[in-house]
Amino acid sequence: MSTSGLFRFPAPLTRVCPVPWGLRLCEKLPLLSPGTVATPVQAAGKKDRPTLLSLDERELEEQFVKGHGPGGQATNKTSNCVVLRHVPSGIVVKCHQTRSVDQNRKLARRILQEKVDVFYNGENSLVCREKREAEKRKQERKKRAKETLEKKKLLKEQWESSKNVP
Amino acid sequence: MLRALLSGLGWRKGIWGCAFSSWQPHQPPAGLSATEVVSHWTVVFEEKGIPEARESSEYIVAHVLGAKTFQSLRPALRTQPLTPWQLQCIQELSSYRLQRMPVQYILGEWDFQGLNLKMAPPVFIPRPETEELVEWVLEEVTQGPRVVGAEGGPLILEVGCGSGAISLSLLSRLPQRVGGGPWSPSLVSEHPASHVPLFLGQSRVTAVDKGEAAICLTHENAQRLRLQDRIQIVPFDVTLVESWAHLLPWGPVDLVVSNPPYVFHRDMENLAPEILRYEDPVALDGGEEGMDIITHILALAPQLLKDSGIFLEVDPRHPELVGSWLQSQPDLPLNLVAVRRDFRGRPRFLHIRRSGPQRVSPVDAWPGRQPARVPG
Repeated sequence: MSTSGLFRFPAPLTRVCPVPWGLRLCEKLPLLSPGTVATPVQAAGKKDRPTLLSLDERELEEQFVKGHGPGGQATNKTSNCVVLRHVPSGIVVKCHQTRSVDQNRKLARRILQEKVDVFYNGENSLVCREKREAEKRKQERKKRAKETLEKKKLLKEQWESSKNVP
Repeated sequence: MLRALLSGLGWRKGIWGCAFSSWQPHQPPAGLSATEVVSHWTVVFEEKGIPEARESSEYIVAHVLGAKTFQSLRPALRTQPLTPWQLQCIQELSSYRLQRMPVQYILGEWDFQGLNLKMAPPVFIPRPETEELVEWVLEEVTQGPRVVGAEGGPLILEVGCGSGAISLSLLSRLPQRVGGGPWSPSLVSEHPASHVPLFLGQSRVTAVDKGEAAICLTHENAQRLRLQDRIQIVPFDVTLVESWAHLLPWGPVDLVVSNPPYVFHRDMENLAPEILRYEDPVALDGGEEGMDIITHILALAPQLLKDSGIFLEVDPRHPELVGSWLQSQPDLPLNLVAVRRDFRGRPRFLHIRRSGPQRVSPVDAWPGRQPARVPG
């Protein structure tokens, strides 16, 4: 795999992606209750990780707790699996990692974000780039370890031979 | 983990008598992996008309393997063969599911707002919608008008605490104290404008319930979560008293929160067997229009309430009914100020506040007041 063009940042989003993506901060969405604010999904966790492309909530179809019935006290359901579909690309993510619908919704969005990034950016996607960087770091560590070992060997040989000099 | 398994089922005497019997209906063949066992029990449940066949099977198998959900199990654990002991446990738990026991009671524990709580019949199982109620109260407390009482605050009263879900999740998210206390990172990052310390003292909760089992379970969960110093759990039936004055050891409360029984009486018989057979009907039945306990709470809350008001979970038909009822009570200084929808888009939560200026402290006002007439 050639490394020449891979560490350029991807072309501006409007060229790569068929739909304009942007931050949608204060949209009232049918999926969320009126009290909450729709925030763009950010790649959380690692501080120096460049942020993934945000997902536009309007391009997502979400399904959870199927066949709910009256809801509230009148229902006791344990299924909090979230099925999230990104309409433009057709990618579907199913998340049942936790027992909380809310948490699963957040996780589903994060996973979908990564998958959509790979879909549109292929080798340039964050996931692939990070993999390559991790692999590169690993190779460098191996190389350094090997060099250190060889130096030690050389020093030892020198010391051995200096001992033998009367 | 096995101890938890045993204690979860221990409320039913004699179950371990049949644990090692040779008669094992529906037992899958030996040597199956977790994934295959899940499929096996899914088919068994489906054939018997058990709702959420796959989810139930997954939760039971995950629980026996030490995980909260099946998907969170490491792939390696899902594919290796299960031991006879594991298969036995799964068989035992699944037999309860065949009797329509709710999964939360079978496992003896469930999560709410990220907290793990012990579950035991007949104490009401927290519903996922109610997590939204907690979020709303937290927003009000951290973003709303600052309230600092004699003890610092905020001071919250929960009516009908059940397993303690609402009270304990509020306490775990509210700052313990200024300065030395542990800050909840979620509060700071979600509300960046309000990371200025708000309260001069401890946030505390008085939780009441008329059911003895609920009182015990809330105690147990409070201790499990090491929140017992900040919660006062009081056996109390709000419908039997004319005043709540003796619930004020710490003075007037900043807000009242409740998920009161709100099912319409005529709807009770249509509830699923999971609910009818195992959960306390008293925790569900709200009377003819599901309003009985709601109106009691509203009628009495002004006696011990300061500013923020009352937060309720209700039936989607209640916003209108509550609005009308409040209008029919001119002596009651309360207004319905907001209705919030649940994640299914149904009107589910109410915020009711004192109307008009607060003349005197509620405690001073109550001796002479006549409580509003409560229907029924």
